Amino acid sequence: MRRRSIILFIILFAFWLAISDNVDIQHVIFGAVFASITVWFWVDTGHRIPRIPSARALRQAGRLLVLLIVNIIKGNIDVAKTVLFSKPPARPVIVDITPAIKTGWGRVLLANMITLPPGTITVDTDPETGRFVVHALTEEAANDLISWPVIDEIIKLENLMQEGEGYAVDSRRDDNPDSISVSASDNRADGHRPPRLD
Amino acid sequence: MIEWIAYICFAISFVAFGIGTLGIFRLPDAYSRMHAVAIGDSIGVGLVGLGLILLSPNWILRIKLIAVIILYWIVNPTMTHLVAKIGLIQGTKPIKGTKLWKG
Repeated sequence: MRRRSIILFIILFAFWLAISDNVDIQHVIFGAVFASITVWFWVDTGHRIPRIPSARALRQAGRLLVLLIVNIIKGNIDVAKTVLFSKPPARPVIVDITPAIKTGWGRVLLANMITLPPGTITVDTDPETGRFVVHALTEEAANDLISWPVIDEIIKLENLMQEGEGYAVDSRRDDNPDSISVSASDNRADGHRPPRLD
Repeated sequence: MIEWIAYICFAISFVAFGIGTLGIFRLPDAYSRMHAVAIGDSIGVGLVGLGLILLSPNWILRIKLIAVIILYWIVNPTMTHLVAKIGLIQGTKPIKGTKLWKG
């Protein structure tokens, strides 16, 4: 725990120095104080501090980033064609998918990767079942989503994070790190349940 | 040369924002219009950021710009998701003829 706190402090402090563009005494003291407060806050609230991911997990994350950028470019061209020439025409489809992603962060990642490229928007998610309700602008976009390679890549990343160092859990908390999706569903502020589509 | 690449990035992002704005008028319902706005939010902002990174005089500025783009690309889909979800909860209906598919 202490080793990770120190590493986190060094990363935050280095980032502070990098963006403050100044290494005088005032900036150094400020950076050290705020990096310490952040580390203390993070550790003390009992939240999980991610361990340093393995090189393979980082490589997989890089692959995902490249896929994201490719998807953004492709989605932009497709939606621009729909807007300008109505080819393919805008025939919205609401797709209900349940990808086999287990962790909370994996689902957040997928929801963001669906929403960021134009053409698909995550309208709702169910933390209990991992079900995603996605609005797609065209039938082509909906078809692409159903057999989307990104989902498999995220599952691969999940496996790499778990079999490697994975996530650290504060010893004061006795809940299972994988139970985050279950506990998140208990705290839905809106008390909303995803719509029934059948 | 680098300046010209930056200018081309700005020009493409200008066109992207233009198409996004046009989409707000041409697409049929609230959910579909969000897709059009996403053009400007994804590639429009990304290319403005890329152009500014290319024109930056030093690395400090570049790191800041990269941080801004990363934060924007995290916050933007989150807010889009929230707007769509609130729309669904409040009863904003998708246009007639919207299909439901089970994947």
